Amino acid sequence: MTKQKEVSKVKRHKLPGTDWKKQIPLLPGHIIVGIWVLFTFVMLAWILCASLANSREIMGGQAMLLPSGPHFDNYARAWSANNISVFFLNSLLYATCTMAGSVLISAPAAYVLARSVFKGNGLIRSGFITAMSIPQIMIVLPLFSLATQMGLTGSKVVLIILYIGMQIPYTTTFLITFFANLSTVYEEAAAIDGCPPMRTFWQIMLPLAQPGIVTVGIFNFMNIWNEYFMSLIFASNERNMSVGPGLRTVLTAMQYTGDWGGLFAAVVIVFLPTLLLFVGLSKTIISGITSGGVKG
Amino acid sequence: MKQNKKMIVCFLTPALLFFVGIFLYPVCRTIVMSFFNVEAVSDPVSLWKFVGFSNYVSLAKTQIFHVAMGNMLKIWLLGGIGVMVVSLLFAAILTSGVKGKEFYRAVIYVPNIINAVAIATMWINCVYNKRFGLLHNFFDMIGADQLAKTDYMNGSIKFYSLLVAFCFGSVGYFMLIFMSGIERLPGDIYEAATIDGASKIRQFGTITLPLLRGVFKTCITFWTISVIGFFVWSQMWSAPLNSEMTTITPFVYMYNVTFGNQGNAQRDAGLGAAVGVVMAVVVLIVFFVMNRVVKNDDIEF
Repeated sequence: MTKQKEVSKVKRHKLPGTDWKKQIPLLPGHIIVGIWVLFTFVMLAWILCASLANSREIMGGQAMLLPSGPHFDNYARAWSANNISVFFLNSLLYATCTMAGSVLISAPAAYVLARSVFKGNGLIRSGFITAMSIPQIMIVLPLFSLATQMGLTGSKVVLIILYIGMQIPYTTTFLITFFANLSTVYEEAAAIDGCPPMRTFWQIMLPLAQPGIVTVGIFNFMNIWNEYFMSLIFASNERNMSVGPGLRTVLTAMQYTGDWGGLFAAVVIVFLPTLLLFVGLSKTIISGITSGGVKG
Repeated sequence: MKQNKKMIVCFLTPALLFFVGIFLYPVCRTIVMSFFNVEAVSDPVSLWKFVGFSNYVSLAKTQIFHVAMGNMLKIWLLGGIGVMVVSLLFAAILTSGVKGKEFYRAVIYVPNIINAVAIATMWINCVYNKRFGLLHNFFDMIGADQLAKTDYMNGSIKFYSLLVAFCFGSVGYFMLIFMSGIERLPGDIYEAATIDGASKIRQFGTITLPLLRGVFKTCITFWTISVIGFFVWSQMWSAPLNSEMTTITPFVYMYNVTFGNQGNAQRDAGLGAAVGVVMAVVVLIVFFVMNRVVKNDDIEF
C-alpha cells in the first residue's frame, strides 16, 4: 500500500512542465463542468448583488450593476423588520442543540455497537439503517398527536427533541464505522491500568473519535439548519420558526410590501452560515459524505 | 463481564428510546391509523372509527391524488434519468484526471448545503423571473423576443421549471457517490484494457458502467427517498395558493388533508396516514426490485 502511494507520488511529480499538456485532451470535460460551475457562481453573485440593490434597480434588470451604490440598509431591514433575526437565532439554537445532543446520545451507543458482541447487535444496527430511509410522511402524524397530548406544541423544546431523535440513526451509523476503525490497544492498556470501561470511553475513546464527531456534528448542524417540514408543522407560530419556513413567510409578505432588496438580503442571511461552513470545511464534509455516510 | 453488560445497557438505552419514540412507534401508529376514520391528527384513539380499507379505496378514487402520484412519477422518472446521466457524466469527467477536481466537485455540491427555500427563491427570481431573470435577459440579448416573454412560473412549463431547479441541486450529491464508486474500482483492469487498445470511452462503457451496478442501486434508492420527500420545492412553486395541481405531490396532498388550512372542506388524518403508508410501500417496492435486478454478489474488490 505505502509502496503504491510512493509510486503514484513519483509519477505525479515526474514532469511538472508537461502537466498542462495532459489537460488538452480533457478540455471538453473542463468546458462541460466549467459551464455548470460558472452558472452556480453567476446565481450566487446575482443574489449577492441583488441583496444590495434597491427594488427599482432589481425590477429594471440592473441588479448586477448597482448604479446607486450598495444599499446595506437592506440587511438591516431584513434582520429586524422581516423578523429574520428571530428565525436565525431559532435555527442556531435548534442546530447547536441537535449537534450536541445527538452526539451525546449516539456516541456511547455507537461505541457499544462497534465494540461489544451481544444478541441483537445486528438487529439494532439494521434498525438504525432502516430508520434513515423512512419517509417523514410516515412518522409525522403520530408525532404531532404525541406532542399535542404532552402539551408541547408551540414550544421550542419539541423541535429540539424531534431533531435530536431524527438525527440519531444517522449519527450512530456514522460513528459505528468510526469506532470500529479505532485500535483496541487503547482499551487494553486502560484495562490493565485498572480503568473501568465506562470511564475509558469518556476519557480515552471519545477524544480519540474527535474527527468523526466533528464531521458528523457539521452534518447534523447543516441538516437541521436546512430542515423545513418539521419546523413548519411543529413551530406553529413565527416565534419558534426556523429559517426555512421563516424565509417563506418573508417571501409571502414581500408580495404586499414589494421590498425585493430586503427579501434577497434575507435569502443571503439564511444561506451564508452553511455556505461559509462548507467553504471552510469542504474537504472534511465531502470525504464524510463519501466514506461514512454511504457505502455502495 | 458484569460491568460490560451494565455498560451496554447504559450506553444503548437513550438511543433506543429515541429510536422507539421517533421511528418505531410512529410508523406502527401510522399504519394502524390508515385503517381508521380519524378526523383531526390529535384525536385520541377512542374517537377513531375502524373502516378497513376504505381510506385506501377513497384515495384510489380521488382525482387530486392521481395527479399527485402522476407528478411524483414524472419527477422520479424524468428527473431521475436527468440527474443520473448528468451526475455520472460529471463523475466520469472529474475522475479522468482534470485539474481542479476538488474545486469543481465542491462548487457542484454547493446547492446541497444551501437551504431549499433560499435556493428556490434564487431560481425563481434570478433565473426564471419574466422581467429580470437570466433566461429572459439571455433570450432578449440574442433577439428571441418570443422566448424572452415566456413565463416560467405559469402554465404547463411551470412543472418543468420546477423539475430543472430541483434536479440541478441534486446532481452534486449523486456525483459524489458515483465518484467514490469509480475511485474504488481497481486500476489494473484499466491498465490491461489500455494495453489491449481499448479507448477511454470504450473502457467507460464496458468496464466502469457494469462495475458500478451496486452504486446505481444505492443512487436509485436514495433518489426514490428524496422524491418521496418532495415538499418544499412544490410549496415554493405554488407560493400564493397553497395547493396547486401542476406541482402537487403526495406529500403536499397529505399535508393539505391533515394539516390543511384552506380549500379543504374537511380534514381527514386517516386518509393522510394512508398516503404515508402508500409512500412507504413505494419505497419498499423500489428497494426490493433493485435488490432483485442488481445483485451485488459477484464483484469483490
